Amino acid sequence: MTEKVKHSRLFLWFVQVLRVCGRELLLVFRDEGVVIFFLLLNAVYPVLYALIYNPEVVRNERVVVVDDNRTALSRDMVRRLDATQEIAIAGYAANMQEAQEAMHRKECYGILYVPRDFGQSAGRGEQAHVSLYCDMSVMMRYKAMFTALSNVTQAMGNEKMAAVVEPVMNMSGSIVENRQVPVGNPAMGIASAVLLFILPLVLQQSMILGIAMLHGGSIERRRRNGGRDPMAVEASPGATIVGKMMCHQIIYVLPVIYVLHYVPLMFGFPQYGNLLHIICLAVPFVIAVSFMGQTLSAVVNERESVFLLFVFSSVVFVFLTGVSWPRYLMSRFWWLVGDCVPGTWMVNGYVLMQSNGATLYQVQHQYWMLWLQVPVMFILAYLVERYVNRRRYRSWIAASEDNPKVLTRIDLAKNGVG
Amino acid sequence: MTSNLPKYIGNSFKRGCIQLVRRPMYFLLIVIMPLLCCWFLMDLIKDGSVQRVPVGLVDLDNSSLSRRVSRNLNGFQQVNINRRYSNFAEARDAVQRGEVYGFFFIPDNLEEQALAGRQPVVSYYVNYAFYAPGSMQYKGFKTISLLVNGGIVQTALRTVGLSNNGIESALVPYQTHVHMISNPFTNYNFYLNSTFVPCFLSLFILLMTAFSLGMELKSGLSRQWLRTSGDSMFLALVGKLVPQTVLFTAVGWFIQWMMYRCFDFPLNCNPWNMLIAMFLLVVANQSFAVLIYCFVPNFRYGTMLCTLLGMVSFSFSGFSLPQESMYSWVAALGYVMPIKYYFLIMVDQSLNGIDLYYSRFYYAALIGFTILPMLLSWHLKKECLNPVYVP
Repeated sequence: MTEKVKHSRLFLWFVQVLRVCGRELLLVFRDEGVVIFFLLLNAVYPVLYALIYNPEVVRNERVVVVDDNRTALSRDMVRRLDATQEIAIAGYAANMQEAQEAMHRKECYGILYVPRDFGQSAGRGEQAHVSLYCDMSVMMRYKAMFTALSNVTQAMGNEKMAAVVEPVMNMSGSIVENRQVPVGNPAMGIASAVLLFILPLVLQQSMILGIAMLHGGSIERRRRNGGRDPMAVEASPGATIVGKMMCHQIIYVLPVIYVLHYVPLMFGFPQYGNLLHIICLAVPFVIAVSFMGQTLSAVVNERESVFLLFVFSSVVFVFLTGVSWPRYLMSRFWWLVGDCVPGTWMVNGYVLMQSNGATLYQVQHQYWMLWLQVPVMFILAYLVERYVNRRRYRSWIAASEDNPKVLTRIDLAKNGVG
Repeated sequence: MTSNLPKYIGNSFKRGCIQLVRRPMYFLLIVIMPLLCCWFLMDLIKDGSVQRVPVGLVDLDNSSLSRRVSRNLNGFQQVNINRRYSNFAEARDAVQRGEVYGFFFIPDNLEEQALAGRQPVVSYYVNYAFYAPGSMQYKGFKTISLLVNGGIVQTALRTVGLSNNGIESALVPYQTHVHMISNPFTNYNFYLNSTFVPCFLSLFILLMTAFSLGMELKSGLSRQWLRTSGDSMFLALVGKLVPQTVLFTAVGWFIQWMMYRCFDFPLNCNPWNMLIAMFLLVVANQSFAVLIYCFVPNFRYGTMLCTLLGMVSFSFSGFSLPQESMYSWVAALGYVMPIKYYFLIMVDQSLNGIDLYYSRFYYAALIGFTILPMLLSWHLKKECLNPVYVP
């Protein structure tokens, strides 16, 4: 290597980056708390969530029947309902009061009421009515009961309609058949729908928490050592940020592959995405999140306040991705807030890839938005590092030169002493 | 001790209040953030139900029948046909790109085959990767495809002279009426936020309590903390946590006022039942965090456990997947957390408005959470006398 290259500014800058990266790696693995965030959290959390939601669908929801009709037809309907996947008949009640009592005692979550004239109306060729009363505390229960009842009455109706229509139109059954093809999530289950949204966010949040905790540790060291961090490497703000980002990128190779590829594999969630494409999508994501974490960690003053400051944001970020309330219905404001989070783009790209088999080309919008966030987040992180963090360290160093105890005293005062 | 009791109580409270005031972060996380998060959730879902799902249409038939179908489909509240595609591959590509959440597929020669009685099939492709829009689309698509069928049959039956009533009962022989008790419009805001917002608040309470206890251990001031309250763990905890209880309860009641008065969530019981439940929820969560510290008197693991349980309680309390559908051990785990009992009280009282008698155990459980740490506080005290901080 020539002397000219060795002394060029770019080369020196790059050496700084590598030194920061190496030191950051050392700090990460020396700090049990950070290792828990970076590795253990990613290993355990997705599995825990997957286990919670793994039953996917509601089966055998208990329903009590009040049958005022007591005919073969009403019994047939109840038998068919009992045979559906969604409903299990818990029993008969003599009247509505008794059924309500059962509902209040949580012995059932729905009441099927068959009125007195049900069989007679059907026999006379009039419309027969049947009522279902649903407990609305959990939407999935209602949806399951509703689906089962409409499927059963429709099947019964089709049989009856065929009998009426056949002599007229010389055919049985419907004239135009219809068929639902569930795509993306063939099980139509909640786990396959929710988990894929949560997985990339676990990566994002664990990374932000870990980065913030590292920063908190550094702040604590500075407070003990008169504003200087003995573990920090002398480097320019830009080199510091990029060096740390490289470290995070290296550490997150394994979690990214494990969380995004192996967790869906373990639980049999939709996995139509190409691993290579998913990793390509994850690269700008991890870089952007690393810069975002470094920007946000400026608010952290001690290691443990990361729990207070960042944990709850996970719920907000999850909602912003559109997991339960679709993004197209969000107000302009929340839509834009969601756009600013790398996780939103990653999640939406990842879900389309894993569930619908989209290629990187098809989610290029999300992909480019992630790359767009990289420089934006970098600039934010740079501004914070240069004008907030470093300025603060300088003022601490100046203050503790006058009075070495001043930094620890502030700490004590906050705990209600003095 | 007894003669100094008022002094100790005073000192203990003073210390707790000073801590609360000196750290702006406390105020931020007890008052500002819970309210902001509450506003976020309520504002996000204020429309109440998922409507006008963007879907596509593939019409290979282009007959008068297929055009009628697509016109009718667009008249539905549930879906919004904003794209038309000339073939299946294009529509699939659009779903993969996320432009539409699904599409309705009308095959070639639909009208011809229908009139010839060859039972053509219309199909709808619903992307269930997005759960709520998926369910809504299904409703819309299902109804319209039944109407297609009905339209043709209706014409045929009318030609043979059946009356309107007769046609109706021939088409829909069994009419179902689904009564959604207390939430007749399946308002998503009512459903989701009456549970998620209190759960959010519980998360803040758990974190806050764990943090403020942990700070005593970390800073090594726990001995001094005990001394201010005359070496009584109970008094020390009360002095520290009651100021927070007051703030959290006020925030909780404000949130309830917003839910039940501003956003008109169903409130079918005496308002006091819910107000008391909220107060009990605050105290139970604080006690739960203390309880965890009694078992794990370590800043990092104590806080981590509180965080983990607080976050996972959104899922295992059975707000979205009902508890009877979960694995039994997951459902059982739900009963470990106070929020589960608040949820059950909310369902019984404000949603369904049934007798207080049926919710008695839930209230009792919340009170039980409060009593439990008192029995174990000796362990915490031992730790406070010899604080060890593991970074």
